[in-house]
Amino acid sequence: MTTIRSFMTEDHRRCDDLFAEAEQAVSKGNLDLALVAFGHFRSAMLAHFDSEEKTLFPTFEAKTGMRMGPTQVMRMEHEQLRGLMDDAINALKTADAEDYLGQADTLVIMMQQHNMKEENMLYPMCDQHLTAELPAVLERLETELCEP
Amino acid sequence: MLAFENAPPFAAPLRFFLTAPLFAVLAGLLVAFEGPDIFASRWTPGALAATHLITIGFMLQVMLGALIQILPVVAGANLKRPLAVARLVNVGLSAGALLLAAGFLSGIPALLGSAALILALTVLLFLTATIMALIGVPTTSPTIRGIKFALFSLAGVVGLGIVLALGLAYGWPLPLMALADLHAGWGLGGWAGVLLAAMAYVVVPMFQLTPGYPARSSWWFPVFMLLMLLLWSVALIADWPLLVRFGQLGAALAGIAFAGLTLRLQGKRRRARPDATYRYWQLGLTNSIFALFLLSTVAVWPAAADIDGWTLAFGVLLVAGGFLPFITGMLYKIVPFLSWMHLQNSGQAKVPAPAMNKILSEPEMHRQMLAYAVALALLLAAIFFPVWLARPAGLAFAIANGWLWWNIASAIRRYRLHLADIEAKLAVKLATS
Repeated sequence: MTTIRSFMTEDHRRCDDLFAEAEQAVSKGNLDLALVAFGHFRSAMLAHFDSEEKTLFPTFEAKTGMRMGPTQVMRMEHEQLRGLMDDAINALKTADAEDYLGQADTLVIMMQQHNMKEENMLYPMCDQHLTAELPAVLERLETELCEP
Repeated sequence: MLAFENAPPFAAPLRFFLTAPLFAVLAGLLVAFEGPDIFASRWTPGALAATHLITIGFMLQVMLGALIQILPVVAGANLKRPLAVARLVNVGLSAGALLLAAGFLSGIPALLGSAALILALTVLLFLTATIMALIGVPTTSPTIRGIKFALFSLAGVVGLGIVLALGLAYGWPLPLMALADLHAGWGLGGWAGVLLAAMAYVVVPMFQLTPGYPARSSWWFPVFMLLMLLLWSVALIADWPLLVRFGQLGAALAGIAFAGLTLRLQGKRRRARPDATYRYWQLGLTNSIFALFLLSTVAVWPAAADIDGWTLAFGVLLVAGGFLPFITGMLYKIVPFLSWMHLQNSGQAKVPAPAMNKILSEPEMHRQMLAYAVALALLLAAIFFPVWLARPAGLAFAIANGWLWWNIASAIRRYRLHLADIEAKLAVKLATS
């Protein structure tokens, strides 16, 4: 059965793959390709954040009444990750591979740590509290994340 | 309610990371000072002192320091007063390691006795604080199970160590050698090995973007390791030598399986760049597999242990070749990342934090790693050519670890400079807004 945890975790893995593609392009010295690949990664991440901030988190908050809890921390980390992605893309635009790799290193750990918290704590909490809403929420997440 | 952001203050783990390399330097200097004699057997006072300077002074320091940092993040377990616990544990471990080394070298019973007492109290304090934090934390991941099992083994290795130290100090009629093997088994297999695996489940996929560890084997590894150690312990008490060997073989094979699996996962990593952490892990995994192969051979064919250098090679390969590289590799990620995270938080989203490579750069880590690899090769060669190589090996080991200390201290110094800079910029922004 599809759960919020399995569905959203799969989307995290898809973003990871796109990130890895960008980094591989940089290590081959192809910064143009890297910029394209990183662009894909960034839009996938932004779509993921948006679907969480517009659909998943508000539903969770409405159901549990927890507004200042984990969802708030996740929103703050989304902000940090948006900033890190901006810095990385700027480094690629100025063709500074060294600077990009430094940004990417920070980004990857921050992103993985953030994903881990969501996958191990927040999504299971969502699955637990949103049993009745599950089919509708999943359907909305699917449309939001599959849009181009 | 889950508390997400209860990471302890930066100073709590840092004090451990800054003291630990100094103990490895001390161990290297001791080897250089004692010279060839230290390689005569694992039971020489010098070898025992150097081993414990490394295992307690370096390994245990970093492991407990990292746990204070990591427990809230991976297990949602929040220590009460983490800074106070960190201070006491750091001082206790340092004093205990020094007294124990001095006790081995001098043979003075009071030194061994006081080392045992201090280490017992320190670990008891740490265990009390962590167990209180872990009460009520459900075992929902192999990492949480691994941490809980490792803490159980920590009690085991320290308990046995105290019995051994007091037995040695006051001449109790104990089977010291068999008990020392068991003590090492609980320490390296049950505590360090299980804790390493529990952390690897999280950090290997995270740092290298590898596929995750297969769920079934990650749940079972800690259980299997503990069962083998319990079997070994019971067999020793009941005097069943064949079962003792069976327990050793089981533990060794489990370790080889874990290391082999990790190597395979790292082969599938999606990150293109091999960084210092990755290379350190490759070094540690390869050496651990060799070491555990030596151990499993002894379990099947005990006479191998009498071959010159066999047991020493096992110890050097597993501790200096396996665990220290894993730990150093992780320090090289943890210290820059924590620096970045604390800088980021202090900037309050108004002033950006510098990237991790501005705190500690890849070339700095890489050069230190090469120095460490040279020191390790010299140490291994010194087992077979002690007259020629014992002193250079000890010195090289001291230099490589001194360099590690320098790298970490430089990272902290840069962190402080950036922190002052960010705070100044933030004050300007807040004043003008």
